Amino acid sequence: MSPEDFEARLRRIGEQRYHHRHPFNLRMHAGSLSREEIQTWVRNRYYYQTRIPIKDGLILAKAADPGFRRGWVQRIRDHDGDEQGTGGLELWLSLAEAVGLDRADVERLDDVLPGVRAACDDYVRFVESHDLLESVASSLTELFAGDIMRVRIDAFEQHYTWVDTTGLRYFQSRTRQAPRDAAEGLRFVLEHARSEPDQDRCAAALERKCEILWRLLDAIEAAHDRPRVSPHAQMRVDAGERLVVLPERAVKPSASGCEILDLCDGERTAAEIAAELRSRHPEVSGLTNDVHEFLASMQKLGVLAPPPASR
Amino acid sequence: MNAPRPYNLVAELTYRCPLRCAYCSNPVTFRDVPDALDTQTWCRVFREAAALGVVHVGLTGGEPCVRVDLAELVGGAAEAGLYTHLVTAGTTLSAQGLAGLRAAGLRSVQLSVQDARADASDAIAGVPAFERKLAFAGQVRAEGLPLTLNVVLHRRNLERVPELIALARELDADRLELANTQYHGWALVNREALLPSRAQLEEAARAVAVARKQSARPEILFVLPDYFAKRPKPCMGGWGRRTLVVAPDGRVLPCHAAGSLPGLEFGNVRSLSLAQCWSDASGMNAFRGEAWMPEPCRSCPERASDFGGCRCQAFALTGEASATDPACELAPRHELILAARRAAEAQPGEPRFVLRGEPRRSETTSGDASRRH
Repeated sequence: MSPEDFEARLRRIGEQRYHHRHPFNLRMHAGSLSREEIQTWVRNRYYYQTRIPIKDGLILAKAADPGFRRGWVQRIRDHDGDEQGTGGLELWLSLAEAVGLDRADVERLDDVLPGVRAACDDYVRFVESHDLLESVASSLTELFAGDIMRVRIDAFEQHYTWVDTTGLRYFQSRTRQAPRDAAEGLRFVLEHARSEPDQDRCAAALERKCEILWRLLDAIEAAHDRPRVSPHAQMRVDAGERLVVLPERAVKPSASGCEILDLCDGERTAAEIAAELRSRHPEVSGLTNDVHEFLASMQKLGVLAPPPASR
Repeated sequence: MNAPRPYNLVAELTYRCPLRCAYCSNPVTFRDVPDALDTQTWCRVFREAAALGVVHVGLTGGEPCVRVDLAELVGGAAEAGLYTHLVTAGTTLSAQGLAGLRAAGLRSVQLSVQDARADASDAIAGVPAFERKLAFAGQVRAEGLPLTLNVVLHRRNLERVPELIALARELDADRLELANTQYHGWALVNREALLPSRAQLEEAARAVAVARKQSARPEILFVLPDYFAKRPKPCMGGWGRRTLVVAPDGRVLPCHAAGSLPGLEFGNVRSLSLAQCWSDASGMNAFRGEAWMPEPCRSCPERASDFGGCRCQAFALTGEASATDPACELAPRHELILAARRAAEAQPGEPRFVLRGEPRRSETTSGDASRRH
């Protein structure tokens, strides 16, 4: 198809699949997220931010054209800053402080949700294993980032007044950078994806990236579900052995699994359950990860009731 | 022998069934097997099963709902502390009957559906049943019971996997078991008419992958059938290891089909306790553990995960119950599986099949009993 039609196709993908439609973002922009939900989002989204310069480094390494590299390297400089204490990552950390998180704690990445980690790592792996054209195409979610940043700034100023506005500088900087980056990426893709198979590959890469961003928010949302044991589960203890019996299945959770299940009362959120476990077992590392992974697996097996459709 | 703890009891209450599915896993001699256990005996079996460590019972058949004492049996199983699950074709039980079972302690239901379309479904079932089944699914959900839809897949319905998934969603099923035909009982009689092509299976697998991505509901179970896999299935999770089957005549078996293996002696709950049948019967111990295994199983690193595959399949295909399951790529007789696949691939269209209870091909003279479905 013509470059104009191809561009329209890419933009349609964004309209339909970009995370501006994700329920979590809709709630964020409507002002209905709790402080804890905002904190979870900021903490976890930081992991995504840390992967971006790595991803851009991989893209640079695929490019033979000095002109392309000269342009693209700007993204890494924007993100990392030209000296310590500047750049996008730094701005995100000041957002973290503004929402009440401990900066060093966020930087350690210990409490990143496993689903968020998996989604972000998938993005880096995608770029690693695909050619320059598809990698650049996957970055085209930036086409839609400028708008969402403006909506977000408004939402924070209006609804989340407890967040100091100096924390919003990351969003402000992105309203300028994202359109420039997107224009650069789009130019490259429109110029190099002329055949139908190449255009299909680019469209698929963009869809994949939208899916990754969507999954990231799914994981954040799940952390605020209030898991409860399925009403169809029969909890048994026999011969000192705990067993959850379900339709056509029985699950034997470990001792630590039972400890987690006992907290799944439909009142506590998954994040609160993880926090409770951390405070009970301060000596154990990686507990956040383990708790969320365990809850996801129990959900899948039907031990936990499905989350409400309206969350 | 120190028998392991069983977790699951399959209670085959009867082999009677209003349906006549061409892939029925009941023995081809099902008519000779009486419903020999009365209400009290079944209830005793449930109590003894619970004492052995069993936590889950599937009430099945045949069609368990033809038992007039079904509500009492459900009550007996629930009272014994078992998670009580009904496996039914859904054509015989009224809404009132189902409500009675739930009140008696029924916890979940598996409903068989033969196809996504009424005509095809009724053809393979041998009776008009499709519409009644859909209504029954609604009754199960109205009772608030978890619902599993089970569909046996074969070459005539594999292409309708997307429609089956849509149907499961429409019926608000919690689980959809897309169970590829296992070639025992009547299915083995009809193997040529049922065995699919690899292309059909791959297409179905793609449809399942798409559906799983769309939504976590229903949970979809689909695994490549052993005729097309490189390794055998861990049949029943191991012989006499996790599951015990009590047949309508009272025999205690390690699986639905083991009763047809020659030379094996199984206990019967009419004269022995379930514990004796489970731990002492020579048939039950014949293939427990690994001592019975021939090479290449005996030294295979995977023997602890697939348990050497299916003994009944080994017998049906090679005549030796202790042979390596021919479904395994490493089996000396794997050629038998490849030949069956080639024969099925070479058969264009939809070869004829016989319904359960009809004269089998070997019993008919050529030309008659050959109506097409």
